[in-house]
Amino acid sequence: MIRFEQACVTYPNGVVGMKDLDLTIDDGEFVVIVGLSGAGKSTLIRAINGLVPLTSGRLDVNGRDVTKLNRSGLRELRSGIGMIFQGFNLVDRTTVLKNVLMGRLHEVPTWRTLIGRYPAADIDLAARALQRVEILEKAYSRASDLSGGQRQRVGIARALAQEPAIILADEPVASLDPPTSHVVMRYLQQISRELGITTIVNLHFLDLATAYADRIIGLRDGVLVFDGPGSDADEQVFESIYGRSLTADDTMTKHAAL
Amino acid sequence: MTHLDTVVPDAPTLPRKPRPALFTIATIAAAIALTIVTARSVDFSFGEIIGNLSRKNSVVEGLLNPDWGQIWSRRSRSAFIETLQLAVLGTATGATLALPLALWTTTFGNPNRWIRTVVRSFNNVNRAIPDLLWASLFVASVGIGALSGLLALFFFSLAVTTKLTSDTLDGIDMGPIEAANAAGASLPKMLRTAVVPQILPAYASFVLYNFELNLRASAVLGLVGAGGIGLRIEFFRGRGDWEALWGLVFMFFIVVFVVERLSVTLRRRLV
Ligand SMILES: Nc1ncnc2c1ncn2[C@@H]1O[C@H](COP(=O)(O)OP(=O)(O)OP(=O)(O)O)[C@@H](O)[C@H]1O
Ligand SMILES: [Mg+2]
Repeated sequence: MIRFEQACVTYPNGVVGMKDLDLTIDDGEFVVIVGLSGAGKSTLIRAINGLVPLTSGRLDVNGRDVTKLNRSGLRELRSGIGMIFQGFNLVDRTTVLKNVLMGRLHEVPTWRTLIGRYPAADIDLAARALQRVEILEKAYSRASDLSGGQRQRVGIARALAQEPAIILADEPVASLDPPTSHVVMRYLQQISRELGITTIVNLHFLDLATAYADRIIGLRDGVLVFDGPGSDADEQVFESIYGRSLTADDTMTKHAAL
Repeated sequence: MTHLDTVVPDAPTLPRKPRPALFTIATIAAAIALTIVTARSVDFSFGEIIGNLSRKNSVVEGLLNPDWGQIWSRRSRSAFIETLQLAVLGTATGATLALPLALWTTTFGNPNRWIRTVVRSFNNVNRAIPDLLWASLFVASVGIGALSGLLALFFFSLAVTTKLTSDTLDGIDMGPIEAANAAGASLPKMLRTAVVPQILPAYASFVLYNFELNLRASAVLGLVGAGGIGLRIEFFRGRGDWEALWGLVFMFFIVVFVVERLSVTLRRRLV
């Protein structure tokens, strides 16, 4: 369970990224966060695994108070939280398998990491993760030889290899075309349902959000302005989140048609 | 097919061509002035050079009649092997240590700002000292011989490879670092999996290049007493045995040439 209580994030330059947030996300939920650019979506996601520290308030993740964790406590917390990035964040020069094994780093002894010899059990887990996103045959390809959609599937496999309780995805489809975006979103949804992984996704396009979210959270200037089931989120709701009327840029289908 | 001149009938007038920046002109003028001034102050004259070279001169005579036998003499051969050993060992030790040293100067590889500053300053000082000065220092403190040469090459390699590797580290993709950190990797694990694979080919090429530099440097180092082939060259120079000296120099030239070709080919395959 993830619970924010009166949580605030103020960046060193004075910008408020999160303001008095009260929010509880239960195990296994599939949550989509929407909001304008700069609304604080990334801030919220990054606070959960401690990449962005709270400046005040409280945040419990799986029973641990994130604000009180030291360096090794943070590593421990992060090892149980998979993260998926807009730019994939793969090491282009190495193989897909080595990239997925990054998800096992917390468990693998340091000396084995340094000489690049991973235990068979971890390689097996990485292979299963690749199998789950149906890209196992690319295990020994260089990451740079893959298409955008394939690379994001490797990104998902890397997160899965952590055997995480939570997956955070910060605009995972923003660099993909519409059909590929749906493929990636479907994998995320299926994985969440099958394995009971709590999944939190930042999305830019509203039609994608309503299509996949069990629950939608709307942010505006770091403040939570909407929280409800995906079915409740109609055009009026989005206009209130955005503080303006919707345009073609806000939905993927209309955007792609332009 | 439509020609451009039907679409744009009137010959357009280009905006006025920008003049070369004053800074560029000033720099070129300064460079020329500096060359003339320095040449005059060291009494540079072509006539004198040609005069000196064409006068009857035992050095030039030796060059025309090198003693190839020198190549096969036992002592010269062992001096050669010592030079190669110096170059290999100096590169292996210095360039190996250069990798962690370069990583410690980066913000992602070393979270401690103070240690970072100390390592950076050490690198800057180290880089400012030329190889020959290192060699003279060690010859004075450790004594004449190969150990001084090795120490000099160690510091020289450390400086060269650290600098080149640091520059490469500045341009790497930070995405994988973020991913490794988000997965709970410790610093050494993150560096090994997210950073090293990105710079490994470049680093390997720097090590080879450093080896080329060291091979050449090791000949000069001997001149100040730091072992290897240079010591032997210096020996013949002292005796005025120019035939033997040139024989040795030619052989050195061939070895350097071959090693350099090999290294260049290898490096091209790496990057
Ligand atoms: N490291 C930082 N330092 C200073 N300000 C930051 C930093 N990161 C984000 N901000 C600011 O905090 C606010 C919220 O940023 P955040 O990245 O969470 O927005 P977002 O909703 O993810 O936007 P986008 O859709 O553009 O990714 C923005 O005004 C942003 O400029
Ligand atoms: Mg963002």
